[in-house]
Amino acid sequence: MTQLVELRDAYEKFEAQGIRLYAISYDDGRVLREFSENYQIPYSLLSDLDSEVIRAYGVENAQLDESDGLLYGLPYPGTFVSDEDGVVVEKFFHDSYKKRDSAEVLIDSAIGRVLLDASEPVATGGSDEIRLQVSLHGGNGILKQGAQRRVVVRFDLQEGLHIYGEPVPEGMVPVTIVVNGPEGLVVGDPILPPTRPLRLEGLDLDLLVWSGCVDLQVPVYAISELASECRPLEQDSVQLEVVVRYQACDDRACLLPREETLHLDVPVDVVDVPSLPLHMGHGQREAFMDAKPHMIRLLRRKMLRYPLRGLSYMVKTARLELAARWRRMRS
Amino acid sequence: MTVERDELGFEAPAPLGHPARKGLPAGHEVGPRVGEPLPDFALPDQNGRIVRFHEDRAGARAAVVFYRSVVW
Repeated sequence: MTQLVELRDAYEKFEAQGIRLYAISYDDGRVLREFSENYQIPYSLLSDLDSEVIRAYGVENAQLDESDGLLYGLPYPGTFVSDEDGVVVEKFFHDSYKKRDSAEVLIDSAIGRVLLDASEPVATGGSDEIRLQVSLHGGNGILKQGAQRRVVVRFDLQEGLHIYGEPVPEGMVPVTIVVNGPEGLVVGDPILPPTRPLRLEGLDLDLLVWSGCVDLQVPVYAISELASECRPLEQDSVQLEVVVRYQACDDRACLLPREETLHLDVPVDVVDVPSLPLHMGHGQREAFMDAKPHMIRLLRRKMLRYPLRGLSYMVKTARLELAARWRRMRS
Repeated sequence: MTVERDELGFEAPAPLGHPARKGLPAGHEVGPRVGEPLPDFALPDQNGRIVRFHEDRAGARAAVVFYRSVVW
């Protein structure tokens, strides 16, 4: 739900860039209509009732079968971004269903550049020749459980200057970025734009460089120590420290290497959860539409189709629950 | 329902091993690859209108989001 709400909030940005947005699930039309009305969803919520499109796309969760009751037919959550010809330019699928990409990252992927938003936390450094800006990009720069944001380090280099990607010859300093944050902030590997080769004939050196305006990104997201869907937040903002090391040169000489430490004050928020007893009372933003009638309909639709397997699902989940309680008692 | 934390650091109101917690195995790719065309489809939207994907996007870029459910 959180992702659908974030996509809604970013809808005008999709429109401004001419990107059409489609969201597909196995939900029935009735709940999609009610959700859409309650949450003012301006894009297409498509009902793939029998998971036919989910299967045709090859994204069905293959670890589930008819014995998994209402879960059978679920997709692995993820997103395809296509160009004007309908060809995939980037796809976003993760090893956990809790990880969801920010709307802004999808837009960036479609247009091929990073479109920063004025609402995002920002810090600046650098000099007149090398303007340096650090932002937390995506979802207005608000951290939530599993929501994939990006620390964007933007260099704006004066004409003639360049900075180095790895590998570099001994003695030269490539750009490195280190993101430090509170416990529960997971920091991924940097996402770097392609470098261009530069040959310095006089020094017999081959280098890989960036010049002009360049965005280097580091994915970050929150796990349970920082934001959990099962507990109220302990803090509503945190500080991220971004350490950027670089050396800028032109074709003849280099400026001194620099290391700058910039700080971002970043809000932390809870996630949107359906109004089901399972999710309620955990301090999250509970939906203002009653999910129970829809859940009953979903159970009927799935369980009645495979009644015996529905029963085995209930036995299986009851066993897992007992095992979890046993683990809890022993710990 | 018992809350348990998984190996990636996420908590959920479902025990470990619950089928609802089964995510994409690491390194496993699903669906069309980068450079491949997205298959066409026709599905009803929240207003009951049948949306034919490639016809509807009419040459525009698109994001196709697969998600689990708004119900639970």
